[in-house]
Parts: sequence; C-alpha cells; structure tokens
Amino acid sequence: MTPSDDKPIVLDLKDVACSYETGSLALEGISFSARKGDIVSLLGPSGCGKTTTLRAIAGFEPVSSGEISLNGSIVSATDRHVPTEQRRVGMVFQDYALFPHLTVRDNVGFGLASAMADNRHSRIDEMLSLTGLSELARRYPHALSGGQQQRAALARALAPQPVLLLLDEPFSNLDPDTTERMRMELLHLLEQTQTTAVLVTHDHEEAFAMADYVAVLNNGKLEQFATPETMYHLPVSPFVAEFVGQADFIPGTIRDSVVVTQLGTFPAPPDYRGGPEVVVMIRPDDVHIRENRNGDGTVESRQFRGSETIYGIRLGSGDFVHSSEASTRFFPLDSKVELEVMATHTVVFDRKAWKT
Amino acid sequence: MLPLLYVVFSAMTADPAVWRRLWTTRVPELFLNTLSLSLGVAVINLTLGISLAWILTRYTFAGSRIWDWLLILPLSIPSYVLAYTYTYLLKRGGTLEQIWQTIAGPEAVFFSPFSFSGAVLVLALNTFPFVYLLARSALKNFNVSFEEVARTTGAGRVTTFFRVSLPLIRPSLIAGLFLAILYVASDFGAVSLLRFQTFTYAVYQQMTGRFDNTAAACLSLVLVACAFVFLFGERWFRQRSRFYQTTGRYRKPLPQPCRPLTALLFTGYLVLVFGAAFGLPVLLLIQWTIKATSAGEISHEFIGYVWNSVSLSGITATTALICGIPLAYLACRRRTWASTFCVQGAYTGYVLPGPVAALAVLVLVSQIVPQLYGTILVLLMAYLVHFLPAALQGMESTLQQLTPNLEEAARSLGARSFRTFFHVTLPLVRGGFLSAWILVFVQCMKELPASLLLRPVGFDTLAVRIWLEASEELYQLAAPPALLIVVITIPVVLLLMQKDQT
Repeated sequence: MTPSDDKPIVLDLKDVACSYETGSLALEGISFSARKGDIVSLLGPSGCGKTTTLRAIAGFEPVSSGEISLNGSIVSATDRHVPTEQRRVGMVFQDYALFPHLTVRDNVGFGLASAMADNRHSRIDEMLSLTGLSELARRYPHALSGGQQQRAALARALAPQPVLLLLDEPFSNLDPDTTERMRMELLHLLEQTQTTAVLVTHDHEEAFAMADYVAVLNNGKLEQFATPETMYHLPVSPFVAEFVGQADFIPGTIRDSVVVTQLGTFPAPPDYRGGPEVVVMIRPDDVHIRENRNGDGTVESRQFRGSETIYGIRLGSGDFVHSSEASTRFFPLDSKVELEVMATHTVVFDRKAWKT
Repeated sequence: MLPLLYVVFSAMTADPAVWRRLWTTRVPELFLNTLSLSLGVAVINLTLGISLAWILTRYTFAGSRIWDWLLILPLSIPSYVLAYTYTYLLKRGGTLEQIWQTIAGPEAVFFSPFSFSGAVLVLALNTFPFVYLLARSALKNFNVSFEEVARTTGAGRVTTFFRVSLPLIRPSLIAGLFLAILYVASDFGAVSLLRFQTFTYAVYQQMTGRFDNTAAACLSLVLVACAFVFLFGERWFRQRSRFYQTTGRYRKPLPQPCRPLTALLFTGYLVLVFGAAFGLPVLLLIQWTIKATSAGEISHEFIGYVWNSVSLSGITATTALICGIPLAYLACRRRTWASTFCVQGAYTGYVLPGPVAALAVLVLVSQIVPQLYGTILVLLMAYLVHFLPAALQGMESTLQQLTPNLEEAARSLGARSFRTFFHVTLPLVRGGFLSAWILVFVQCMKELPASLLLRPVGFDTLAVRIWLEASEELYQLAAPPALLIVVITIPVVLLLMQKDQT
C-alpha cells in the first residue's frame, strides 16, 4: 500500500448520524475520509447502514448530526444540506437505472450541459470509447447485456467528471464470470480517470479486490476503517474478524506478555489493554496439520475448494478450528492430526466482552 | 357485430347525393368540433391528472389519504347530470357569474355553458379521473432510482420531472387519455344538453329531427371509422413503447411531508377541483331534491320511472351475463379461430357510441322484424349490444385468474363438464361475475341516448326524465332522479377502485 497522505482529501465524514423517520438512528458516529483517487469500500451485512451512508453522501438522506464534506466544503450538516444536483457526485445504482426512454448515447450525455454542444459531443464520444460502448451508442438500454448496461451506467456517471463516484452494489446483478471481468475494467477506468470512489458491497472478497480502504459497518456503526490487509490480519472486533474471512476463536490466558493456549503460546499484542482471560483469533491459513496417531485433533469435515481444501478439526478440549491445506494433501475423515499454528500477528479479544 | 355491419351496409348503399350533402355541409364541422373538443379535454385532463397524481403520490399532509378516494367520485356523475348542473351554474346572471363580476367588475362576462368552453369544461371535469388514476398508479410504482440518478448528474427537480419522470409515465398517460377521449367522442348526454355539435349529437338529430336514418348511418360510419383509427393508433403506440422496463428490485417513492403553507395550497387546489367536478353539482342536486320533495313534486310517476329503470337494467344485466358466460368461457379456455372471431365481434359494441348502437338496432329491427319496432325488446337489444362488452371483460378477467388445473382436476375425478362448471367454476368466479352484473346494471341505469331513441311511448327511464326536464331547464324536477343515479353509482365506482388497488 502506497501512502497517499500528500493527496488532497476529497470526502470527509465526521461523526455522521442519520435517523429514520421513526426517530431511531440508522447510522451513528460514522467518521472516515478518502483522498483523491482512493477507492473506499463500505462493507457489511444487509441492514448495517452501508447504503444509507452512501445515500447520505449523495445527499438523498439528511444527516441528523455530524457533517459530510466534499472537496473541503461542507455539503451535509444539521443546518446545511446541499442538494444532490449541486454536489457533483456520480452514482451507479444497483439496478443501473438507465433511462429506458433514451439511447445509450443520450443516457451518457444526460448530465452534460447542453450549452456546450461541441464539448458535449466529444465528451460523450470519449466516455463511450473508454467504456467500449461506441458501437452500441444508438441502442436502447433494454437491448444491452448486463455488463454493457453497467458500463453505460458507469459512463453516464463519469461523464460530468464528478468529484466522487458512488457505487451501490454494482456487481450484484451480474453473473460471476462477468463480475470478475467488470471489476478489473472498473478498477482500470477509475485509475485512468483518477476518480475517487465509494463502493458498497456485502462481499468481502469484492471489497478486498477493489478497495484501498475498507469500512466495515455493523448495526449502523463503523466497526473498523483500514486497508484490506490490516482488516484481515488485525481486525478490531470479533464481528470484523468473522465478516472478512473465516475465523475460529480459542480460549487463552495472558501471562508475562505471552498468550498461552491449547495450541501453543503466542506473543501478546503490545497494545492489548483488556483482562488476562482472552480468546485468540485463528485463521485457517495460519493452521497446518500433520497426521499423528497421538495428535490432539480429529478431522471432522472436509471441503474441497480447488486450490485448497478446508479441514474442520475438533480439538481435545471440544473447541473447533479450521485448517487450509494445499488440495494435493489428503487427510481422511476421523483421522487423528496434530496442529501447528504460525501466525504473523496475534489477535486477541477480552473474553469478558466475548459472547458465545 | 351484426348491427354494426348493418350500419356499414346501409351507409355504403346510401344515395351518393346524401353523402355529398353530408360531406360538404356537416362532416367537416362535426369532425372539427369533435376533434377540438377531444383535444381541449385532453389538455385539461393532462394538467389536472398529472398535478393531482403528483401531489398525492409524492407528498403527505393532513387528509391526503382521503383524497385518493374522493377524486374518483366524479366518475359517478353521468355527463348529462354534470352538464345540466353547469347550465345552471354558468347561466347568464348565475351564481358563478355574479361571483366573477364582484371580482372582475360588473361588465365582465363568464363564458356561456352552451359553447365550446362550456363543453370542454364539463367533459374534462367528468373524465379527468381516468388520467389521474393511471398517472397515480404509474407514479406510485415508479422506480425512484431514475430520478435520483438524474439528480446526481446535476439535474434539478424541474428538469428531472420533465426529462425523466414524465417520459417514463407517458404510456400510462396515453392510456388514460385514450379512455377519456373515447368517452368524450362517444358522449351524447353532455353535448346534447350543451347543444354542442359533435357526431353523436348529429346522429341523434338526423334520427329524431329529420327521421333520416340513412344520413345518420353515414355519420355513424364516419365516427366509427375515426374510432377504429384511434383504437389502432393506440395499439400501435403501445407496442412501440414496449421498451419500458422495470428491473426486479427497485425503490418506490416515499411521500414527503410538506410544510403547512404548501399543504394548505395543495388542499385548496384539491378542494377546488373536487368541488367543481363533484361537490358543487351534488350539493345543488341535494338542494333541488329537498325543494322538489317539499313542493310535493315527487309523485307516483317518479316511482314508476324508478321501476322502469330498475327492471330494465336488471333484465339487461342478467341477460348480458347469461349471454356472456359461454363467450367468456370460449375466450379463456377454447381459443380457436371461430371463438376469437365471435368474442371480438361482441367487443365491437364497445366502440359504438350510444346513438350509433341505437341506430344500428333500430335499422336492423325495422328491416327484419318490423313488428318489434316500438317495443321494449328493441331497447333491451340496444342495451345488450352496448353493454355486453363490459360484462364480457369483467367475466373474462375473472375466468383468466382461475387456473384451468382446477377444472381439469374436477374432470379427472369424473365430473362432467356441466357439473364441473356449476360445482367448481361458478362458485369460484361468483364474485367477479357479480361485479360484472352490477357494472352492467349501473351502466344501464345511466344510459341515455339509446333509451331516448328507442323507448316505447310513455316508457321513460330515470335518465330520460333527467334529460327531458334538464333540456327545459326544470332544474328541480331533474334533480331527484339525477341524485338517485349518482347515489347508486358511487358504490360501484368505489368497488372498481378497490379492485384496482389490490
């Protein structure tokens, strides 16, 4: 990850809260920012508030406290609400919302002022060729495939050179093969146009593949805002740990700055401030197994995934962990194994705050 | 179907001189009048329909839910009843003119009800709910993503409305306008009372004033031809606008609360429209009815007219249902070339305006069974030709909702088709058939032109009485039957609305 601290901040959310009509809070205390060219992904389960955050940035939802700034000027605050059309944000909707009564060309040109006719045409042409739609310019949206519709929606959003591009689950209506290709195309396009983007998704793989920074939301609160790597290896809460990948938790005790567990001892994280009784997060890729007649673990399940095989292992204590092995290695069910855990980071959570 | 063919035949075989005379004297004027009337009504309908639908789907304010229901009530006033209350309201020195003169000075004149403006006003107030209803359901199910995406590209509210929302609900608007214009072009009651020369009125005049059925047939043919062109135009347009897609998941618009002043403004507007189209006329009717009752003008004759109307409508509705069942059944279950032909033939009655249907039956009867002329059977036939399509449509859609599997299940259990129909199909479609019956009944109660032309001597229906009294400006005498018709129509309109919402 290249540090981008020298670039200007494009989007800044400070302690943003939004409320439903009933008065209960839909979002609370959301703070994060994005610098020019960054791709930020809002990740979380459905109903966590990620779409509400996106709509608040777009100006469709008023904020009940806190403030949102775009390019240094406040666009949303309790006493201030710049209407959407003046914010210069582009948006790609989940269903693309291509105007069915306009051709692809007219869709792309919709946001361009008609005053500058020459400019307008060349800009449309530019966007069409960037998205590879030049051939389809005269078609109506219903005559496009899903991927083409998405490109058209993207071209339309980018044509007026928005300050910020907002994408609401843009890949959820595409089949898996197209999704993969469109992700790469989108990344390329954003890079080419130096566009800052906020992308909503519920798929952590998508967030990791696309984003420079990921914001995990849960119940209307921001759990963590970090790079994908940090998020995966150093999650700040069990929720994040489980949401961004498979995670198991085994009990441990901190003694003299090491964590003692049934799978061995690990260096205790220096900034941990909780009690001595903890749970330790174990990722399947940190666990390796060897066949051993006297081993502590029993293979209980096996899931073949192509490049890897995930084994589920029951420990002598009754706890359960997963191990990711190269798919060329084979362990029969019910065989006894011994485990070796090699983690670059130790992630622990206070057991008192841990609910199981 | 047969009556229509007969009209076509007698018009085709008419003396060319008749044609020439009509073509040079009447047709251009009538055509222009009918067209301009339709256009005028269309413009007002669009303005009222869109603005009302927009206000009621996008905003909430005190009482906004009630208006959903109130605004369809104008459909329960027959056009001739609305026309006759307006001849009173707009007459020289009438209430409205007095109010207008206190505002605009004593010299100011209001337009006369017996004019183009008067006819446009009355028919627009009578038909705007068609456009309103269709615009409302389109706006209610509108995908707001379209509007939001327009906003993100920098379009303001007004631009968004005209460039995105309006084009997207265009098909619904066209459908609503189509209904309204068909209604206007085939309306007889209002234009005859307001003495505005359109095709329907002219056909009536040829038949009663000149006893010239051939000329009437010629005019009818022109009108029906126009109606067909219009019908196919609408079909064509609808096919072209097939590209209107709606994706599976979308956000419906949420009505926004609005400020007290705006709410007051909206309410004022709604009260004005509703008052003009329903409130004021009905109040007048009630007032006149009370006067008439206290003056002892409701006699046993009035009871007689009620009985005439009710019995005739009841017989027609029952007959329409009995005739309609096999046709609807054929249309839904056994689609063959012949059955399609029969059913479509029955539907042609739809495009026949009242006077034309009357003429068709009259000509046919006087040629084939002249001894029936002047009996109630002729009137009954005209009603059937005219209202069978409405019954058919109701029954057909009910039957279509019923899966054939049920009948097939009954057949597989050994029930014969006769038994299957009476024990399985009929109990399940009873509700739909009942509403078809009620629909025909009410339409017959309101029916004016055919009753006027074909009634046996001394056999007056309520509608005929209203028209006769209203033509002589005997407002009080016309009020009781008019009020009665409005009162029995209201539940039917509300019933249809409720079905529309589920």
